[in-house]
Amino acid sequence: MKPFRRRGDELVARLVDAEAGILGLLLDQLEQLLAADPADSGGDPVLARLLPPGSTADAEIAADYRGLTEEGLRSGKADDLATVRATLPPDGGEVRLDDEQARAWLRTTNDLRLALGTRLGVTAETEPPEPEEAGEEGSQLAVYYWLTAVQGSLIDAVAASRGGRR
Amino acid sequence: MAGPLAPARTPDTSTEEESQLDRPWVTLVWDDPVNLMTYVTFVLQDLFGYDEPTATELMLQVHHEGKAIVSSGPRERMEHDTNRLHAYGLWATFQRDA
Repeated sequence: MKPFRRRGDELVARLVDAEAGILGLLLDQLEQLLAADPADSGGDPVLARLLPPGSTADAEIAADYRGLTEEGLRSGKADDLATVRATLPPDGGEVRLDDEQARAWLRTTNDLRLALGTRLGVTAETEPPEPEEAGEEGSQLAVYYWLTAVQGSLIDAVAASRGGRR
Repeated sequence: MAGPLAPARTPDTSTEEESQLDRPWVTLVWDDPVNLMTYVTFVLQDLFGYDEPTATELMLQVHHEGKAIVSSGPRERMEHDTNRLHAYGLWATFQRDA
């Protein structure tokens, strides 16, 4: 991966074939998760993190809030996901984003990190896996840290250019 | 302690309900182990128009104290702010100001 950098009006990165493939698979999984019937997915900690309650202290307020906002939140995430998919070269290559598309990438890569982080039980003390750390969990944690690098470079590129413009 | 120069206070006649209506609502952001510090700062700037030092200070308060109030006002606006933070994946709630 060549991290995101500002180039003129665009934010540009380069992904190799395997990275684009993994990101595509993660997008498919996130899409399925977000399309799940809310009634069937009660108790899934990942979905609970992606669609959090508006209040943890007052059940009535939380229910009102969910009724008002959940559908919009889901469809916003689905729109972001579609934007990422449309701007991701499926076999790897250059990713070129305008500022709106960059925000969709920020939100979606964050959702993927939240989903993986919740599944893997990431805490503030979690460290990147050693390269030789084999096994399913080690490789999923490696993907989590790869997403962190992608998102981190995009945050820096968007924030730096905004600072420079004001 | 009230001295001779203290302003005369009118007795508080508002009912419990009225004072509840007057009290503003707040939106809180809570600490979580996944969201990057640079991301939280960026989102607070982007959504609320805070300058970078203010957004950074709020982010650090979230990080060190576990939570911070990021906006206050009427309930509907706090619902809206919470919703915008949720769209960015921040862990946010709203409540009547304590």
